[in-house]
Amino acid sequence: MSDDHETWLRQIDAELDGELSLVERAALAKHLATCSHCAGARASQLEVRVALARSAGDPHARVVPRPTIRGRALAFWAVVALALGVAAGWLAHGRWGGPGGSLEDSRAAIVVH
Amino acid sequence: MCGALGIVALVALLQGPGTRVTYRVRVVEDGVRELARGSVSGPAGTDLRFSLRGDSSEIEALFQIVPEGDTVLVSAEFFTKRRLGRSRRGLGLWEQDSYLRAVRLPWGDTARVHLFGRPRRTAVRGAGVWVEVALERGFSGGEGRPAEELQVADSTTDIRLEAVVRPRRARVVMNLVRGDTVSGPRGLDLVPESPARRVQLAMAGRSTTLEISLTRPDASPSARDRVLALDADVVCLRVVAPEVAQPVGVLCGRLNDVARRLPLPGGDTLVATFAWPSGR
Repeated sequence: MSDDHETWLRQIDAELDGELSLVERAALAKHLATCSHCAGARASQLEVRVALARSAGDPHARVVPRPTIRGRALAFWAVVALALGVAAGWLAHGRWGGPGGSLEDSRAAIVVH
Repeated sequence: MCGALGIVALVALLQGPGTRVTYRVRVVEDGVRELARGSVSGPAGTDLRFSLRGDSSEIEALFQIVPEGDTVLVSAEFFTKRRLGRSRRGLGLWEQDSYLRAVRLPWGDTARVHLFGRPRRTAVRGAGVWVEVALERGFSGGEGRPAEELQVADSTTDIRLEAVVRPRRARVVMNLVRGDTVSGPRGLDLVPESPARRVQLAMAGRSTTLEISLTRPDASPSARDRVLALDADVVCLRVVAPEVAQPVGVLCGRLNDVARRLPLPGGDTLVATFAWPSGR
């Protein structure tokens, strides 16, 4: 009985994802008409998906939208990272010099004072 | 005309053996803090050996001068070591370098030597360690010995100044030794690279004739020794047996009165000491 129930719950998930055939959907509908527990589980699943769709900014979606990275956001963060890298490199060069510097720069120099 | 001749004679005299050269040295950190102050002086031809050793770097240099009229050409050969880090086994990794620097300046002027390169524009003004070397010359007044003087203000850094003088002559004292018998000492003032001389050493009623000459040692295989002229006061005595015209051997040593021994073909041993000639 319990195994059957687990099977119906997986079928509910698959149905909400649009992965069931007509025959499987018909069998599930027939079961839901007689099983209040599974009907409640389906309602809960639907509410969770509605909440996810709302948080993704598309409350009228037919399926849960997949998280996507927008082009403008990606460009913004790339520019921020580049600017931070340039600033850190400039500060480090001023503080400690380049990565080793040239050999000639590190050698002694004589200046008439 | 007479005035010009007088000036030429004066310049020639100043550059001759009666001239005394003085290097006045200051070691300065960050442009304000004096780490050490000192001077090295000696007869014409005296060089200055400078060294500064810290935890992460060692800088050694030999300063040499060539007088040219009212100016002097200062050249410095550097031998440096810098700590790069540690190996996987925890040993220090060092970067070693040697190079030459030269500059011309008037007598009495000061040359500033930036030991770690010219200061960067972005660095704090005056940052780093530099050495100020002022060159002076004057009459020796009969004083031929080199002199050194150093006052170190910061003992955490090892700073040294040394006068480097290559001997024009050397006092060589020789004895013959066989068992418990020793001949009387025979002393000679020898000039390096001059023609060989014959000497007779008498011991136990017989005399031994040797042909001797003083030479400079061969160049050291060590780059550091060559750059810093660490063998400047080393001379070699070449000994030849004139009867067979064959070299017997060579004795090399510093002018420090330490006896050095050379076995001779007849069973005797030649014992020689090298020293600076008297009257310096």
